Amino acid sequence: MAARLEIQGLSVRYSAGATPALNEVSVGMAAGSCCAVLGPTGAGKTTLLHVLSGVLGRHHSQVVASGSITIADAKFSPLPKIIQFPLVGLALQDPSVQISGIRDTVYDEVQFTLDNLELPSHEIRQRIPPLLKRLGIDHLSHRNPTTLSGGETQRVALATILAAQPSVLLLDEPTTALDLTARVKLHRILKSLREKTTVVVTDTHVDFALGVAHQIVVLDQGRVIFDGTPREFLAALENFESVLPAASWRRVRTLIKTAKEQPGSPHQRLAGRLGIV
Amino acid sequence: MRLDLSSKLALVLLLWLCAFLLDWSINLILITLLILVRYLLPGYRPQSARASKSFNKFLFYGGTIVFLFAGINALFLRGGDVVLTIATLDFHEEGLMFGIRTAVRLLLLSISILLFFASTPLRDFIRFLQQKGLPPQLVLVLLLTLHFLDQLPARIHQVFVAQEARGAPVRAGIFSRSQALFSVVSPLVLSSIIESIDRGTALEVRGFLHKPVPMPAAAHEQRSRNLLTAAVILLSVAIIIYSVLRWLLV
Repeated sequence: MAARLEIQGLSVRYSAGATPALNEVSVGMAAGSCCAVLGPTGAGKTTLLHVLSGVLGRHHSQVVASGSITIADAKFSPLPKIIQFPLVGLALQDPSVQISGIRDTVYDEVQFTLDNLELPSHEIRQRIPPLLKRLGIDHLSHRNPTTLSGGETQRVALATILAAQPSVLLLDEPTTALDLTARVKLHRILKSLREKTTVVVTDTHVDFALGVAHQIVVLDQGRVIFDGTPREFLAALENFESVLPAASWRRVRTLIKTAKEQPGSPHQRLAGRLGIV
Repeated sequence: MRLDLSSKLALVLLLWLCAFLLDWSINLILITLLILVRYLLPGYRPQSARASKSFNKFLFYGGTIVFLFAGINALFLRGGDVVLTIATLDFHEEGLMFGIRTAVRLLLLSISILLFFASTPLRDFIRFLQQKGLPPQLVLVLLLTLHFLDQLPARIHQVFVAQEARGAPVRAGIFSRSQALFSVVSPLVLSSIIESIDRGTALEVRGFLHKPVPMPAAAHEQRSRNLLTAAVILLSVAIIIYSVLRWLLV
């Protein structure tokens, strides 16, 4: 079941005296919504995801933090100190490291997560095939997970996390190594998760974020400089040109141009939903 | 006969004891048996063509090193009769025997452990450790280390290609290779550390440290395998007693 997420005045330094990686971050995310966290490199996007998943609290004992985090009914002040499995699922930037290397097939690789949950075998059999089908990788179930393409590995990595049915799914720059076709597939998958899972996705591709998110958060040097809807984000677009990559702006401009020139196209539907045209 | 991992590990222990306690000629016979055993026992067959190739390569280089090691010792450790003279170089009996003893011992130690890993899929070994109740943190460290070693040849190749593309003379003579070594080793070590941290994190967020995985085997099969493991351990104890007695009586 999707969980509400509330971050209140969260500040994080990797050690006492270091520059804050996150500075007084306050963000709320509704259960079942999708939030895209945008920002330049070093803005604190990955740190935020590692904080929410419990990775930071567990691995960095010297971290100095203040504030609080609420995930569903669990309140952490300031940080979760243990990995929040299976409440929170985290997909790292490089999907290939998500593959354990100790399972021979995609099916077994997904089962590895469920083995860790000690689920009975009949429940494992019930969970995996529909999940693989939903992610469009059912035809890969007997393939070796280390021999797949970038897009396929990304979807298998996602399946390994979704198998545990996390209430919150965190995706760290999932589009980095993906081509356009793979991005479209990921876009569809994230849309299918709406209402079922609360999704937080960090990305530098503004157009991708606009397409999937209900809420946009822009981070710069650890601070939240924007928190609103995609429509509000587009209305204030020029304020963020200096903190987000130029390539993303070009794609947003192309989106608007195509939407205007090709009535009825997917671009126009997206642009219409966002109130661009 | 299929061997389970307990028996295979007990055999490794037995071979290590043999390497230190028994005569070099027996160790040489054991090495020969180990080379043959992968064709005779299904449990010792290399798990893949790559593993088989690596094992053969190791045997080739291992044999060469034994030969060189014995030769160098025979040349420099002067004692006993001269067994061979090439040009003005005399090869002495004591040095030769010392070289053979040490090299055969090292070869038996390394072949026993290499054959174990060449014939054991990583997933089986990790599952075995989990079933035996080893702390999950320790299993994770072992998994990351073994995975790194498994991926090492491919990674070295990648770094070589990348450095070659930057103009580093990585495939020229031995001197140039030595000079280029730093530029190959640094990215290799750095990328391996980063990947190991990421892989460890990814396994943790998938609940690897959550709880151990119980996977009971069939009871009768388990009993017969336990007997085999016990027999190997008893043999190990017998070899220790024999060595102690031999030491006391001589």
